[in-house]
Amino acid sequence: MATKRVGRPATPPPGLPHVAPSSHKYPPIRHDQLSADERREAASKGYGPGRRSHSPGGLSITPGEWKLLAVVLLVAAGVRMFRISKPNSVVFDEVHFGKFASRYIKTRYFVDVHPPLAKLLITAAAFVFGFDGDFDFKDIGKVFENVPYVAMRMVPATFGVATVPLAYLTLRALDCRATTALFASIFLTFENGLVTQSRHILLDSPLVFFTALTTFLFVGFSNEDKKEPFTEQWWTWLVLTGLSLGAVVSCKWVGLFTIATVGACTVLQLWLLLGDLHVTPRTWARHFFARAVCLILIPILFYMIMFQLHFAILGSSGEGDAFMSSEFRQTLGHGMEDTYADVALGSDITIRHLNTQGGYLHSHAHNYPGGSGQQQITLYPHRDENNIWRVLNATVDGYEQYDYEHKPIVYIEDHSRIKLRHIVTDKALHSHEVRPPVSDVDFQNEVSAYGMTGFVGDINDDWIVEIEKGDGSDKQSSKRLRTLRTHFKLRHLHSGCYLFSHKVKLPEWGFEQQEVTCNKNAVKANSLWYVETAAKHPQLPADAPRVNYKIPGFLSKFWELQRVMWTTNAGLTDRHAYDSRPSTWPGLRRGINFWVKDHRQIYLIGNPFVWWSSTASVIIYMLVRGFLILCAKRGYRDFDNTKVVKYDSLCGFLFVGYCLHYFPFFLMGRQLFLHHYFPALYFAVLLNGAVFDLVTSTLRPKIRLQIAAVLMIIAIMTFSKFSPLAYGDPWTKKKCESARWVKTWDIACNEFLDEYSQYSGVTVPTLNRSTPMATIGGEPGGRAPIVVEDKLGQDEVAPPQDDHTTAAPVGAAEPGRDVFAKDEQKEIKSQIIAQDVPVDIDEKEISVVKFEPTNEAAQEPSSTREEDKVYDGDVGSGTRTGEPEDQGHPGAVVENLEEVVEVGEDNDKPRVPHGPLDHEEAIADQVAYELYPDARDVE
Amino acid sequence: MTTSMPFTRIPPFEKALDTPQASAAVVGVLTAIAFALRFYKINQPDQVVFDEVHFGKFAAYYITREYYFDVHPPFAKLLFALAGWFVGFDGHFTFENIGDSYTENHVPFVGMRALPAILGSLTVPVVYAIMKETGYSTIIAAFSACIILFDNAHIAQSRLVLLDATLILFMSLTIYSYIRFRKLRYWEFTVEWWSWLIATGFFMACTWGSKVNGILTVVTIGIAVLVDLWDILDHKKGFTMEHFWKHFMARAVGLIAVPFIIYLSFFYVHFAILTHSGAGDTFMSPAFQETLIGNELLMNSQELRYYDVVTMKHKDTKVYLHSHPDRYPMQYDDGRISSQGQQVTGYGHDDINNHWQIIPTKALPEAGRGRIVHHDDIIQLLHVNTETLLLTHDVASPLMPTNQEFTTWAKDDHSRHNDTLFYLNIVDGNHDDPWKSKSSYFKLVHGSTRVSMWTHSKQLPEWAFKQQEINGNKNPTEKSATWFVDQVISTENPEGHSVDHTPKEPKKMSFFKKFAELQLLMLQHNAGLTSSHPYASGPINWPFLISGISFWTENDEQKQIYLIGNIIGWWTCVITLSIYVGILGADLLARRRGIQPIPEAVRGRLWNSAGFFLLIWAVHYLPFFLMGRQLFIHHYLPSHLASALLAGAVLSFILSDTINYPISIAGRWTKMKHSEYADLGMRGPVAVGVFAFTMFLMFLYMAPLTYGTPGLDGETVNAKRLLSSWTLHFAAKVTAEVL
Repeated sequence: MATKRVGRPATPPPGLPHVAPSSHKYPPIRHDQLSADERREAASKGYGPGRRSHSPGGLSITPGEWKLLAVVLLVAAGVRMFRISKPNSVVFDEVHFGKFASRYIKTRYFVDVHPPLAKLLITAAAFVFGFDGDFDFKDIGKVFENVPYVAMRMVPATFGVATVPLAYLTLRALDCRATTALFASIFLTFENGLVTQSRHILLDSPLVFFTALTTFLFVGFSNEDKKEPFTEQWWTWLVLTGLSLGAVVSCKWVGLFTIATVGACTVLQLWLLLGDLHVTPRTWARHFFARAVCLILIPILFYMIMFQLHFAILGSSGEGDAFMSSEFRQTLGHGMEDTYADVALGSDITIRHLNTQGGYLHSHAHNYPGGSGQQQITLYPHRDENNIWRVLNATVDGYEQYDYEHKPIVYIEDHSRIKLRHIVTDKALHSHEVRPPVSDVDFQNEVSAYGMTGFVGDINDDWIVEIEKGDGSDKQSSKRLRTLRTHFKLRHLHSGCYLFSHKVKLPEWGFEQQEVTCNKNAVKANSLWYVETAAKHPQLPADAPRVNYKIPGFLSKFWELQRVMWTTNAGLTDRHAYDSRPSTWPGLRRGINFWVKDHRQIYLIGNPFVWWSSTASVIIYMLVRGFLILCAKRGYRDFDNTKVVKYDSLCGFLFVGYCLHYFPFFLMGRQLFLHHYFPALYFAVLLNGAVFDLVTSTLRPKIRLQIAAVLMIIAIMTFSKFSPLAYGDPWTKKKCESARWVKTWDIACNEFLDEYSQYSGVTVPTLNRSTPMATIGGEPGGRAPIVVEDKLGQDEVAPPQDDHTTAAPVGAAEPGRDVFAKDEQKEIKSQIIAQDVPVDIDEKEISVVKFEPTNEAAQEPSSTREEDKVYDGDVGSGTRTGEPEDQGHPGAVVENLEEVVEVGEDNDKPRVPHGPLDHEEAIADQVAYELYPDARDVE
Repeated sequence: MTTSMPFTRIPPFEKALDTPQASAAVVGVLTAIAFALRFYKINQPDQVVFDEVHFGKFAAYYITREYYFDVHPPFAKLLFALAGWFVGFDGHFTFENIGDSYTENHVPFVGMRALPAILGSLTVPVVYAIMKETGYSTIIAAFSACIILFDNAHIAQSRLVLLDATLILFMSLTIYSYIRFRKLRYWEFTVEWWSWLIATGFFMACTWGSKVNGILTVVTIGIAVLVDLWDILDHKKGFTMEHFWKHFMARAVGLIAVPFIIYLSFFYVHFAILTHSGAGDTFMSPAFQETLIGNELLMNSQELRYYDVVTMKHKDTKVYLHSHPDRYPMQYDDGRISSQGQQVTGYGHDDINNHWQIIPTKALPEAGRGRIVHHDDIIQLLHVNTETLLLTHDVASPLMPTNQEFTTWAKDDHSRHNDTLFYLNIVDGNHDDPWKSKSSYFKLVHGSTRVSMWTHSKQLPEWAFKQQEINGNKNPTEKSATWFVDQVISTENPEGHSVDHTPKEPKKMSFFKKFAELQLLMLQHNAGLTSSHPYASGPINWPFLISGISFWTENDEQKQIYLIGNIIGWWTCVITLSIYVGILGADLLARRRGIQPIPEAVRGRLWNSAGFFLLIWAVHYLPFFLMGRQLFIHHYLPSHLASALLAGAVLSFILSDTINYPISIAGRWTKMKHSEYADLGMRGPVAVGVFAFTMFLMFLYMAPLTYGTPGLDGETVNAKRLLSSWTLHFAAKVTAEVL
């Protein structure tokens, strides 16, 4: 303790005015207070040189620098907000994030893979500036109407601007020179990629900002920690770091990498502290808990509060419902009416699958095209009378049909043996040794509906109810079947398999509903079912107990949504035209096409000079560090040099940040884009600054400034070369070609005009017409839309032969995949489009078309004839007897040999013509779809 | 090693146990039991069990010399073939299904199963020897050996024609040799030192050659060697750089060059044996296939001439290029518009509409070799039935807006002539290569738009009869856009259409080319094994023995073989593993606070030898978490062996405060350190004895599931289902009925 006081200035003599403690309390010359031995010792423990020498703590910059910072800020704002209102149409993923903002404003529930903070901020801006949520952000290039898109774009832009001074402050707090800090912040200001990304309604700009903020706050905290822990400032820095961590992970899950960075550094701090034998275990525990609370608890709370807000805003149902459990949907205004609690023989019930959101056990008057050819059993997500089943007792082995209408009520208990009768088609749930249509494996059996009116059924209709668990609040529910409260399995009596469903869709003949099978090796989670509704049983009194879903609390909603986000995020593996693998990012091999229109393009590409020089500094750091380690092993004592130690800890911190924000992407199989590299790029640019600081450390300040100025000017010139791609400005083909420095940059140079003068003729379209307009195409993943002008009311159909309009333009911009939009269930009722399923047509025969050039009639597709034939036959006979199904597995009880294979009765309706003939109808649909999105959503 | 101990008094019993004679006796007994347990009823069941379907089949292929393809390297399979050949198996039986009878088909399967049983039995003494060499006492070594000896999973796995027994034995031999090598570190560059170094390399190659997972053993040894070299580099040891490079080169030779040559030699033998065409042909490139006797390509491949009528198949999806008079609908459901041209589709069946004629775009000589089609020629394809030419243009295809539509155009209408021109790009072709049926894989690249003809497994809607879509892929080098000519329907070839059936001489291909091609394919297919299997399980379940694999069942007598470990042994391993990690953590923390609870020698052993075992365990286990492929519990067996070694080390640490020290052979300049002796007392033999006995009882209890005999009734099956997650067959069903 005594040695600590040696370097301090003497106490001022009494009477003199007391100097207020400021950042200048301790003189900037700090290293010389340690003897060489002490320094070496400190270095061996990994401390920066300042540890014992009264680190200034927090941040200390001179007033002059604040002015400099203000100038930098202004420049950054100028660069990022220049013509932010152009283009006035949807760009890239604004398709999604704009849409989400409109969903928030309409309070319609949606699901997205990203946490809500950044989206909420964008929404707030949109709301304040009067967005009513009516614009649908459907396609890239769609012109905004009544959307305060400038305000919305200002949110990411502001964050983008704010990132720049943070970089400056971080480097200053890391004890770099002002020149270096200026150098790095100018590099960030003129980084084309960051500029492009922050000018549109995208989440990466807030993410990078919060990453930068966290880094800065944590560096400040570490400085404070070196000076003196547990002061007020120390706590402030720490709590702010925690809050900022919460914010970063609430923007995108990529923020977890920032948490990992801070976590790794904190663990290192604690480890060093543990080795300091002057620190008592008690103090160490205090350090530990302070960090645990501020860096773990606070971020989690922050994250959860964001979701609380999210749920509070999204109160009504929307397209995200289908991903959530039934309990969750109860909170979205989809409330179900109370239903009877008791299930007994004779009850009419609907049965839901517990694990998947596939829906209700369903059957309809359509048969399997293969397998047994009996009636289909599927899972269907919507309420429908085809979901209703009647519970009956098993009737074989001499049991009579139980007269449930008059005899006393018989509840369904554990191990009850029952039949399930599909009421609409009057068939029973049935399974047998036939492989199912899609999951064609040995341990799966097909499930069908089989039987006819008056036929009691056979042993393959019998199922055993196995109650898995009841609900704690309802004691009876674990003993007998209770609506909503009991989870049960259905075991097929004869083959011992369990009724099972999984996320596998049936092909078109099954209306893409979910497959239901009977599985001998069933995963338990996928063989659990519950009764959702039970109609009134004739023997029950009218005031019999009723139940409804339990309304889930915040925590269970939160967890459910996290699970959905996680599974979907991992499943995001589709390829995208402009996706890229992490290995291509540091070399800037390829950009992303954001928007192409009116001979202009927005293409996300970094500033090659900034990008490559920062990559180079990462590599230089690795090589030098590796070399130093080898030298140390061979006995060279570089690590005793204070300069080496200073830059080692400084660069080491930034390098760890870079690695943790970059390398984890290699483990991800999902779709990745260039912009995922931005947080890592931020660290790389800072590291670039640090390397610059080291290289120029022996030079005179003036020369250093001159070198920095030259480098900054090169960066700015490179920026301006590529700036038309960032701003969507006019450009010429020639300039574009000359800017393609790397062959793999697929900029659409042909889109640009030959001369600047030609652009004056092209007006930027601001078509906000009142007449209805529709577009064809332009669906996500497809081509750019073709505007169909005023088609309503005109009988004439546009000539389809025009090659120009049907062409697939090269490199059309395409937004990232929104899985939640794609997975939406078809809302079509299965019966309506049921007529087109061809029955028993041999695929091989369809295609043999004899070519007879003289006979026009013969050119008609043979399939039509085939189909007609089948269809005629069906109408004529109504039903036809099928071959007895071969179920002769060893030891089977004698099966009914007179099974009747029915062909859907509703074939009687006239067939809707499909294919080439109904294109007019398709156009009409398309137009309606465009014009009345509301009507569509209501459906 | 001196036995005079000033501080500890060793009980005579323990002293006796550690004499070489007693040690030999113990290992002899253990080995004898191992053989007995693994050979017991080895002829049961006389049916094909689980993966014998594959590996038995491969052995048969070696004997019949037919080419096959597998993701695993050939060494272990060659051994099986050798065993099969030795006991007189003629390769006629093809091991089609699990449950096929051996006896009825006269397969000498006992001989083939004896090989893994022998190798599996030998693993036990090797484990014992590893522990003994590492400096643990006889009792501890016996403990580790017992965990393997009485393990149901190891036994079940090594009684069948499976690769794991070979893998595990050679892996343990690699570890053993490396430890012997390390112990000679003060005798560097002596003959013995070199022998153990090369032995390590040799066994390493055998491990890797047995199964792909063997690469993990290579990684383990690689890491250990790096640590070792790092140590030599340390300036505090006072070695020169020259000395370091000498060491470096020695290891490069012993552990890289030698194993690689041996690994290559396995493949050399593999290719030398498999000279006939067989089931694996289609995996290989045409050039490779033509080196096999009786290969279809070799037999039927012929050069194509202009005006030949041919059928073309897509390489991946095996559909024919097809067209029929029906036209594309004017507009698709999503509103996009087509050209309404004639449909061009992919069709799976042989049909007259698959016939296309090759039309030249240049002047041809009247006859002779000038009429042969070559690589890079510009051709047109005429659909014979409709007399239209194949064409593609800048119109989006029906299903993929990003790809171009393929259609046809009337032969006589020359307005679209340029759109009907295609470059013929033969894969890996050179300038003057002729286009051959069957053996030339080619891409058809469009002249003006540079798209390549492509198809994918998605079906077109009803209007195209659910046939496959053909479209133009914007990437002209797309790998999956590969086609080949399947049949030549008519030709004006002077030799005529007749394919001579005289066996053609197979072509030559250099060994290294073959090797490179096969390695690449093995890698690709290994990554591609992602389909689900009912008994596949995730790595996290393995150490805890959450689930096993049903190898084989027989309904009549309710027999089954279920691969599951000895639960006592496995859980002991998990517990000791966590104890070990706990000790290391506590030691680190304590030292950080300046306390040194463990004596230096014991600590060194704990970190270095037990740490090496932990490394083996981790390297053989953790990488599976990163693999997307189908995984089974038997992938954990090498790690389980490592954890058995670690269990011994931890037990020794628990029972005794001292260790056998030093164990490395002292060199000329080694400073003799104070030596000491592990003192287990009587509690060692007693604890290990009790443990071995319980292990044995548990083994016996589970034995019917391991040996597949005798048959069990439902109640017994239920009783043997120790964890509810085990999916045993023939379990008694709990049924109750109402009404």
